[in-house]
Amino acid sequence: MWTKTSCLSAAILLAAGGAQMAHADAQLLKKTCGSCHSETDNQLSRISGQRKSPEGWMMTIVRMQHQHGLQVSVEDRRAIVQFLADTQGLAPAEAAPFRYALEKDPNHVETFEEPMASMCARCHTGARVGLQRRTADEWLIHMDFHVGNYPTIEYQALGRDREWYKIAREEIAPYLAAAYPLETSEWDSWQEAEKVPVAGDWIVITELPGVGEAYGRLSVSGDASPYQVAGTLMSADGQGRSVSGTMNLYTGYEWRATLDIDGQDYRQVLAVSEDGTTLAGRQFQRDHDSLGGSLRGVRADQPGVMLGTVPSAVPAGSATVQVVGSGLDGLSASNGSASANTYGAAVALETEGNGFVTLSTDAGEAKVAYYTTIDGIAVDPAFTIARIGGGSEVGPEAVPAHFRAIGLWNGPDGAPGTEDDVRIGRVNAEWTVTNLHEHAAKMEDAGYAGQIDDTGIFTPAVAGPNAERPFSTNNAGELTVVADAMGQSGSATLIVTVQRFIDPPIR
Amino acid sequence: MKPLNQKAERVQQAAAEDKMDEVRAMQTVTAGCATTFDPGWEVDPFGGVAALCQPMEADLYGCTDPCWWPAQVPDTTINHKSWDDGADNAARDWRSLGAAYPKDAET
Repeated sequence: MWTKTSCLSAAILLAAGGAQMAHADAQLLKKTCGSCHSETDNQLSRISGQRKSPEGWMMTIVRMQHQHGLQVSVEDRRAIVQFLADTQGLAPAEAAPFRYALEKDPNHVETFEEPMASMCARCHTGARVGLQRRTADEWLIHMDFHVGNYPTIEYQALGRDREWYKIAREEIAPYLAAAYPLETSEWDSWQEAEKVPVAGDWIVITELPGVGEAYGRLSVSGDASPYQVAGTLMSADGQGRSVSGTMNLYTGYEWRATLDIDGQDYRQVLAVSEDGTTLAGRQFQRDHDSLGGSLRGVRADQPGVMLGTVPSAVPAGSATVQVVGSGLDGLSASNGSASANTYGAAVALETEGNGFVTLSTDAGEAKVAYYTTIDGIAVDPAFTIARIGGGSEVGPEAVPAHFRAIGLWNGPDGAPGTEDDVRIGRVNAEWTVTNLHEHAAKMEDAGYAGQIDDTGIFTPAVAGPNAERPFSTNNAGELTVVADAMGQSGSATLIVTVQRFIDPPIR
Repeated sequence: MKPLNQKAERVQQAAAEDKMDEVRAMQTVTAGCATTFDPGWEVDPFGGVAALCQPMEADLYGCTDPCWWPAQVPDTTINHKSWDDGADNAARDWRSLGAAYPKDAET
């Protein structure tokens, strides 16, 4: 059974204390932006007609600095982003379809229908559009902004072969005004909703690149951004890693943390659920955002919640599995014995062959696979890109790619590659890269484009022309990534391409 | 007609082998890549890198100057006028071409 934390008194306190802060931040907004944006009825021109994610507002202010000479300190800029995201942000339901862009998921492939696909998403993510809400007038101005700022938009492919400007004004602007309007019932409801204070203890499950699956406990303290975060992340081998840092909470649910995890800087881009009981999003290395993994969490006081197990699948024999979750005092397992601990419950297993252990609480069931054999391997992601980089003090760093091997069973039909195949969980694998095709072999891409380590992380080679290659070709390449384990093999496609010089929070 | 570069050669080859249906006006790439191949920044008409301008530095300014991939590469027409200052020859001076979004702009 789920119970909801009582939040009324805290919400009232926040509202009372927050009024003065909001007034100060409104003044800061006017002081910083008001010299260019005119004020009418207490509204600043352009700004009042838009709502955005925290990252969207940050990108706008950065553009004002870069293009229009705005002078603002890092601290004031963040305070303005906080104020705008809180008062003109996106409701959880509005941001939900596009969280992959906020999370900088390196493997997501978008699918947008026309006209957005070729009018918007051929240069940047469609999510960059979908994470904004504007008035009809503002969407129209947005079209002209593009022509003024990127004039060749009209004679690139999919621009010159049509009446781009006419389509932009007469089709796209009205389309966006209908799809992403400023005023929505979702935003009205979210503004009125009681927000559960985020402070407290959270149990989380995630992964650490180069380490593997991980779980832990994060304690959040404070009553406004920046909150303090401290805790521990554990790997499957039982080793603990300390976590400390700060977290900014925007719009009542957008969790943005900057953390030190065992000496490595990480970011967390998460969403707190509307009822304030769960977390979901992605955690990644601050300097290499392609390296990270999904993160899910639950408040430590929630009854009977299982987030998953570490490891996600276990070799048969004697083993201990950590069931990650909250309120698991009453957990029972179909094999072995369970004992509650700080992160949920540990289950000591004695297994043989292939099968599942069923984990049960009053709230539901989950299963963890044990295995002696596997029938195949799926490599996740099946397709992604990496980027060459480095070799320069100012240029972009290389962008690595991170692959995981997932063990497969054929399922009831006994045949591989069918819908009833069972993904049992992570398995350890040996990793290699080969040339994707004949042309790649001719260019010796696998020998130049980079290397993969024994944890499935591919590190691309250095940027710049390579005089050793035909035409001094870059160290780009088209590769097949191969995982071998337990007599089985799986593969993925990796395109190693060139640097990205502009890398904003929403690509 | 004689192809002037590798991309044109590959497109001509695709036509000769009746594989033009493999050539896409937009390519499926991970979110945030330029998807048009006119030329594309990350991938070519076949979804790979073999038919891109290579090395990209050899033809970089011919496309970045007129704002060809404004979401990925600084254009020197309007938005990043001094990006290539001191790097007249990209193939030689590529180490001077910097990342163009500030690192301190975190939420």
